Amino acid sequence: MPEMLPKYVKLGYQYLVDHILTFLFIPIMAAVSIQILKLGPEEILTIWNSLHFDFVQILCSSFLVTLIATVYFMSKPRSIYLVDYACYKPPITSRVPFWTFMEHSRLILKDNPKSVEFQMRILERSGLGEETSLPPAIHYIPPNPTMEAARGEAEAVIFSAIDTLMQKTSIEPKDIDILIVNCSLFSPTPSLSAMVVNKYKLRSNIKSFNLSGMGCSAGLISIDLARDLLQVHPNSNALVVSTEIITPNYYQGSERAMLLPNCLFRMGGAAILLSNKRGDRNRAKYKLVHVVRTHKGADDKAYKCVYEQEDPQGKVGINLSKDLMIIAGEALKSNITTIGPLVLPASEQLLFLFILIGRKIFNPKWKPYIPDFKQAFEHFCIHAGGRAVIDELQKNLQLSAEHVEASRMTLHRFGNTSSSSLWYELSYIEAKGRMKKGDRIWQIAFGSGFKCNSAVWKCNRRINTPNIGPWQDCIDRYPVHIPEIVKL
Amino acid sequence: MAEVSFICKRTVISTKPVQPAKFCPLSVLDRVMERNYLHIVLYYQSPVEQSPGELTKKLREANAEMLSSFPIITGRLLKTPEGHWTIKCNDAGMRMVEARAKGSVEEWLQNLDREKELQLVHWEEMFHKPYFWSTFYVKVTEFEEGGIAIGLSCTHLLSDPPCATMLMKAWADMTLGGKMISPPLFHPLPGRRPGNTKTNHDPYVELVDHYKSYIDMPAPVFDTKQATVTLRFEDEFVRRCITGISSEESSRTPFEALAALFWVVVSKVKGTKGGLTNMSICLDMRKVLGLDRGFFGNCMVYNKVNGDGIEGHELCEAANAIKEVVKKMDADGIMDLIEWLEARNCQNPPWMNGYDLICVNLEDVDSYSALFEDNARPLRASYYIEPPVGEGQILILPLPAGARDTFSRVVMITLPENEVKKLLEDALIQELSPTILMGLKKMPS
Repeated sequence: MPEMLPKYVKLGYQYLVDHILTFLFIPIMAAVSIQILKLGPEEILTIWNSLHFDFVQILCSSFLVTLIATVYFMSKPRSIYLVDYACYKPPITSRVPFWTFMEHSRLILKDNPKSVEFQMRILERSGLGEETSLPPAIHYIPPNPTMEAARGEAEAVIFSAIDTLMQKTSIEPKDIDILIVNCSLFSPTPSLSAMVVNKYKLRSNIKSFNLSGMGCSAGLISIDLARDLLQVHPNSNALVVSTEIITPNYYQGSERAMLLPNCLFRMGGAAILLSNKRGDRNRAKYKLVHVVRTHKGADDKAYKCVYEQEDPQGKVGINLSKDLMIIAGEALKSNITTIGPLVLPASEQLLFLFILIGRKIFNPKWKPYIPDFKQAFEHFCIHAGGRAVIDELQKNLQLSAEHVEASRMTLHRFGNTSSSSLWYELSYIEAKGRMKKGDRIWQIAFGSGFKCNSAVWKCNRRINTPNIGPWQDCIDRYPVHIPEIVKL
Repeated sequence: MAEVSFICKRTVISTKPVQPAKFCPLSVLDRVMERNYLHIVLYYQSPVEQSPGELTKKLREANAEMLSSFPIITGRLLKTPEGHWTIKCNDAGMRMVEARAKGSVEEWLQNLDREKELQLVHWEEMFHKPYFWSTFYVKVTEFEEGGIAIGLSCTHLLSDPPCATMLMKAWADMTLGGKMISPPLFHPLPGRRPGNTKTNHDPYVELVDHYKSYIDMPAPVFDTKQATVTLRFEDEFVRRCITGISSEESSRTPFEALAALFWVVVSKVKGTKGGLTNMSICLDMRKVLGLDRGFFGNCMVYNKVNGDGIEGHELCEAANAIKEVVKKMDADGIMDLIEWLEARNCQNPPWMNGYDLICVNLEDVDSYSALFEDNARPLRASYYIEPPVGEGQILILPLPAGARDTFSRVVMITLPENEVKKLLEDALIQELSPTILMGLKKMPS
C-alpha cells in the first residue's frame, strides 16, 4: 500500500514525522513569545520580582541539577572511536587466475572429473576476478600445507597489516592496552595474539584475547568485545586483528559440498585501532554507534549448516548445507528486527507499526512492510561471502547497485577474505571518495553458528582519499562489470 | 645416488592479468616442429653469502614480472576449427620446479654426462588434453656449495633455440635490472616482399621436396641409446681446419668447416658406403627474412645436403656442398617453402629431427649475455633438441665471453653410444685438440 502513495506525499510524511518535535516546539514557542510580548515591560518586571528567590532554594536546586547531570554523564557509555584501520595487500605474485586454479584442481583431483567440473561451474559464477590471492603453500603441485607454512602466512598477513596501521596512526607498540586477534580455522599454541605480542614486544600487562572457531562474523564479535572492554578500562586503546589463514584449511578431498570454500576463500587480513581516549576524538575516522549480534545456534538446522567434518576418505573440510541461503535470510530478519528500532527514523518505524497492526487486525493479505534502510544509512558493507549472499541481501533490503558495489568489487578483487572483507569494503568506499563527515555505515557479517552480526558506524571527520590502502593501485579500474557467467 | 633432490613444483603466474579472449596463432614453421622439444641448461657461479633459496625466490619473482610480456607462454594450446594449433592466452602460467644438488657447480661440470645434465631440466610430455598442459617448464637447481643451474624446457611448437635464448636473456635482464632491454616481438612471419621478387623466379624445389619427404615418411624407431658429448675447439685449431679445406681462409665460415669435418667423421664412424651419410643442416633464417632478434617463434629451416659421391677424405667437397646449400637458402627460397606449407595444410606433423644426421647452426645464439647477477656470466650453456632419434645431431654453439670475431666453437654431438666412442678417437678430430667439456658416462670402476 505505501508503494502506491505518490512520492511527494511519502516525502512529506517522512519529513513531518522525523521532525515532529520541531514541528510541535515551534508553535508553542511562538505562542509563549506572543504572550510575553503582549505584557508590557513593567508587568514582566513585577512577575520577576514576585518570584522570591531564597538563597537556600537556589542552592538546593542547582545542587539537584548538578547531581542529575553528573549521574547522567557518568552512566552514559563511553564513546568508542575507530582511529584508523589497515588491510593486508597480498603480493601480486601470489595471485591465482581462474585457469591456474582449474589446472591445479585437475592435476590434484585426477580421479574425480565430476568434482573438477563442479569447481569449474562454481568458479564461473562466483563473482571472483583474476587477481585474488592464495598463500604460497597452496600454489605447489600438490599443495603443501605444513604448520610452518601456516605460521608463515599468519606472520606475513598479520604483521604486514599491523605495520601499515602503525604507520598510519603513529602509535607505539607499548601504548597498546588491549589486543584481540580473531582467526577462525588456524589456532596454534602459542596463540596468534601471543605471536603479535612477541613480534612487537607489547607490554606485559596487556589484555590479550584470541578468538577462534567463530567463523566469518568474528570480525564484528571482536569489535563488540573491544567495545565492552573499553567501557571498563578508561583512557585506553584496543588493537583488533581480523584474518583467516587459508593454508591449513585447503580441502584436499573430492566431496562437492566441501570443495566450495576452496573456490571462494582467499588470503586477506585487517588491523583496526579502537580508542576511548579524549585525545583521539578529533583524529578518529569513525565512531561506533551500535553493535547488534544475533545467534541462531539454538536451531539445529542453523547450527549444522556450516559444519567442519571429515569426508568418507578422512579428509577434513567444511560442509556447506543446501539450506544456507534460507537460514541466512532468517538470521538477517532477526538482526534487522533488533537493529531497526535503533537506527530507523521515526517515520519508517511508524509505517512498519501501522502495517504490522493492519496485517494483524484488518487484512493479513497486506504485504509486510520492509523498512527502507537507505533512510538510515548512506553506506552498506555486506560481507562478501559469495555472490549469492550479496544478491540475496540486495533483494531483501531493496538496495541499489551502487550500495552493494563495495561488496561486489571486494569479492571480485580479493575474493572471500572472511572476517576482514568488511574492512576491504570500507576501504573501497573511502578510496572512491564517497565517505563524508556524518555518513552512517552499516556492516553486516554472517558466519557459522549460524550468526548474523551488525555494526553501525558514523563518519567522524572529513576523509581524504587514502594514499596507502589495498585499492591504491587498482581503484581506477573499478567498478567493473562482472558477468553472470565467466566462460572458462 | 640421487644428487639432485626435488624441493617443490609450482606454477608461476604473470604479475599483470592478461586481456581476455586473446589468441596467438602459430605459423607454419611453428606447426611443423610439433614433435620436438628443447632443453637449455645455463650454469652460473653464485655468491656464497646468499642463504639457500634466496636466489631462487628472486628468480621466481623476476620470472613472474617477465611473463607479463609473454602472454603466449602463459596460454594453452587449442586447435582451431581448421585443425591448426593456436594459443589461447588464458593466463594459466608456467611450471617451475625447484631443486637442490650436492657439491658445487664446478665439481658438477667436471664429471658431467648426458643423463646427469638432463636431471637439471624438467619436462612433461604433451597431455592427451593439451588445454591443461604447460608448454614451458623451468627448473632452478641450487648447488649446496655454491652455484646455480637454470634449466628451461619448452615445446618446439612455440620456440626454437634462438627464441628460447632470448627468453632466458629477458628473464636475466628482469632479475638484474627490473626491466627488459630488448622486449619480444610477436607477429606472423613476413610475407613475400613484392619489390624484391626476381622475375621468372624458379621456386626452390629442393627445399620444398626435403620437407615433403619428411612429411611422407613413417614414424622413426626409438631403439638405440644415444649419448651426448660436448667438445670445445680453440680458435687456432678451427682456423687450421679451415685452411686445411681451402687455401683462402675467408671463403669458409667456421660453421661450414666444422659441419664438413663432422659430416665426414660421422660417415666414417657409421661406415656409410658410396658417399657421405644423409645430412640436413638447420639454419636460423631471422637475418635472411629481415626479422629482429626479438622475434618470438620458430624461424629455423632444415635443408638437405647432398653427400652422394663424396669420398670419405674429401673435406673440401663436403664443405663446398654445404656452402652451396647455405647460399641457396635466401629469402625467396624460404618464402617458397612457407607458401607451400601453408597451401599443404598437413594434419600429421613430420619428425623433423627423426631421420638424418642434423647439423644445427647456433653460432649466433647469445646465451652468454644472460646475466642474472652483476658480473656473473654463464659458465656454460648446453642445448638439447629432443627427442634424440634419427642418425644423430651436431649443434655448433658459440663460446662464453669470447671476442665476437673469434673462431672458437663449442660443439655438442649426439649419436648412438658406440659411435660417439669411435668419433672421439678419430684422427681428424684429434688433430684439432678439442677439450672434452662433457664426455661419455664414466663406468664405475
